[in-house]
Amino acid sequence: MPMKAGQALRVLACLLFLCALPGLVAAKDYGYPLANPFEATIAGTPGPLMPQLPATRDIKQKDYSFNLRPEREHGLPANFWAVKRFKYRLARQKHEAPLIFIIAGTGARYDASGMEYLKKLFYGAGFHVVQLSSPTSYDFMVSASKHATPGYSPLDAAELYAVMQRIRQRHDDLPVSDWHLTGYSLGALEAAFVSEMDSQQQAIGFSRTLLINPPVNLHTSVSNLDRMARVRLDDLPLGESFYQSLFDRLARFFERKGRFDLNEAMLFEFQQSRERLNDEQLALLIASVFRFASADINFVSDLINRRGLITQPGVRINDGTSLTPYFELAMLCDFNCYLRDQLLPFWQKRYQPDGSLEQLIHATSLYALADYLRQADNLAVMHNADDIILGEGDLEYLDGLLGSRLMLYPRGGHLGNMQFTTNAADMLEFFHAQTYE
Amino acid sequence: MRRPMNRLLLASALLLALPLASAQQYEFTRPLERLTFSDELEQYQFERATLGALKVSDPLEQLNRRIYHFNYKFDQHVFLPTVRTYRKVTPRPLRSGISNAYANLKEVPTIANSLLQLKGKRAMHSTARLLFNSIFGVAGLWDVASKMGLEPVKEDFGQTLGHYGVPPGPYLMLPFLGPSSLRDTGGLVTDFLLERDINWLDYPETSRRQPALYGLEVIDTRHTTELRYGQLNSPFEYEKIRYIYIKARELQIRD
Repeated sequence: MPMKAGQALRVLACLLFLCALPGLVAAKDYGYPLANPFEATIAGTPGPLMPQLPATRDIKQKDYSFNLRPEREHGLPANFWAVKRFKYRLARQKHEAPLIFIIAGTGARYDASGMEYLKKLFYGAGFHVVQLSSPTSYDFMVSASKHATPGYSPLDAAELYAVMQRIRQRHDDLPVSDWHLTGYSLGALEAAFVSEMDSQQQAIGFSRTLLINPPVNLHTSVSNLDRMARVRLDDLPLGESFYQSLFDRLARFFERKGRFDLNEAMLFEFQQSRERLNDEQLALLIASVFRFASADINFVSDLINRRGLITQPGVRINDGTSLTPYFELAMLCDFNCYLRDQLLPFWQKRYQPDGSLEQLIHATSLYALADYLRQADNLAVMHNADDIILGEGDLEYLDGLLGSRLMLYPRGGHLGNMQFTTNAADMLEFFHAQTYE
Repeated sequence: MRRPMNRLLLASALLLALPLASAQQYEFTRPLERLTFSDELEQYQFERATLGALKVSDPLEQLNRRIYHFNYKFDQHVFLPTVRTYRKVTPRPLRSGISNAYANLKEVPTIANSLLQLKGKRAMHSTARLLFNSIFGVAGLWDVASKMGLEPVKEDFGQTLGHYGVPPGPYLMLPFLGPSSLRDTGGLVTDFLLERDINWLDYPETSRRQPALYGLEVIDTRHTTELRYGQLNSPFEYEKIRYIYIKARELQIRD
């Protein structure tokens, strides 16, 4: 119990000193502390402002796997061995309980930190939890996706929906009272398509669906992220690399601190120090994370479909082969480049021979679900007014479709407030669940 | 007593927060308008930085990559299952006692290397840790020093060499041990011999007679090491681990 007392003390200290301050300015102020959307996106929520969560050792969970693409067993290079079987994680309660599927964001695996957080939140509230990798992740593309060309939401959702049904079948001994669905970022967009599909086919019958910070127009979102890699860095000496300057800042910070210790609390301290990053540097850091995701997608999609854009068909790759030349090529191609070079031609070939980019964007964004979203009163969206993946008019559009089913927060950037107590409580309330104690 | 207190706090936190989430009162803040952009070629920072980061001395890359896959497989099929069993069969206090005891022995090379780098304060700090934990913590089973505010620090011979300007040399992926460099591998060997020479608490001498102790040390090391192969979930994980390793060592050397 001393843990809980400690937690209570910290919350108390926060209420008194930190959180009370903005409260003085305006009583209706939202308590999430980071007003800078780029900082919020990177740093997330400070520990004392996070909800109470169960410890990992108190969670009964296991990773399971399926062989979903047996035809790939021998067609893939040997160095893909680790992702040939599709893996997911199931945390089970000892008794009958509602089950929630969680879909990860761009490039993320089922055990990414955001996924682990949501699992703990819902498990603590008494749910069975199934964690699924994003259809854009390395492991999902190789082990589960038939065409390995993610980005066309109806197809991505169909593959997720099929996987969910397989999982349900496999664990038919699990006593489930209700089926729920959630996802964050790109996973939220896919959750919306899965939810719509399920309302038609009723193979699972979801009771409630929550979308956490979804893109509204997928093209706006990826273009924002692509564009953030084009910020101007004025204080960087010509010829010096951005990463190097980042490491130099970190090194100076630790030299002054006298001790090297990389952890999350350090992030907040770092941003208080004189080595703190400015908006452009923070934006470039965020953009870099997504560019690495797009590099992975470019490389894997091209290789599996033998398109010859990055890897020449017929090239032999084994455990010893250097992939660096492919990495160099793949990382030069951002999301818009992937859209133009791989996704659009794939979609035209398979779905709409003379379809335009605009038509693809419409079909893969929330617009395609407008009729469904308007009347789906068991679906809600959680979003932030300063989310960097949104564009002009996106929030008004959601507001018009959803009305009171849009939970909008004034700050938090992209997912930065997902772990904030208020947001956690609102998520659980939407699923009619209680906070963990 | 504490539970109702918790609930009260939570309730007050919620009360403070509740009226805020009622939505639609907030307008889009156009975060990207805060940024200045450039399309000039020399400003392609991401591409330049990434291409630069891929230029690492790695003449044994073919072999290193094979060892990376070997380590990954060994981890999945042997190492991690063993650690899981170890966690299942040992009670938590025993396990942390063992980890503390091994960490205590590692203070010896840390002191030596702090002295070699003329970091007197750090050497005193670690000496105090070693003595407190060995005496009051019964051969290091309890980490009483941390409770007294003396947090652990680590200095190894690779860092000492780096401190005096020895470059890392070629990158190496060591079987079982993971990422390293020529310099740091030399450091590992030196620290190992040094520990044996000093023979603190007679452990190195005893473990030579009781090889099972080596086994325990290896399992404890894997138990306390957080690295998981595949964690970065990328076909280019090898390159990423390589860069992170080199940079993390630079930071450790400079602190």
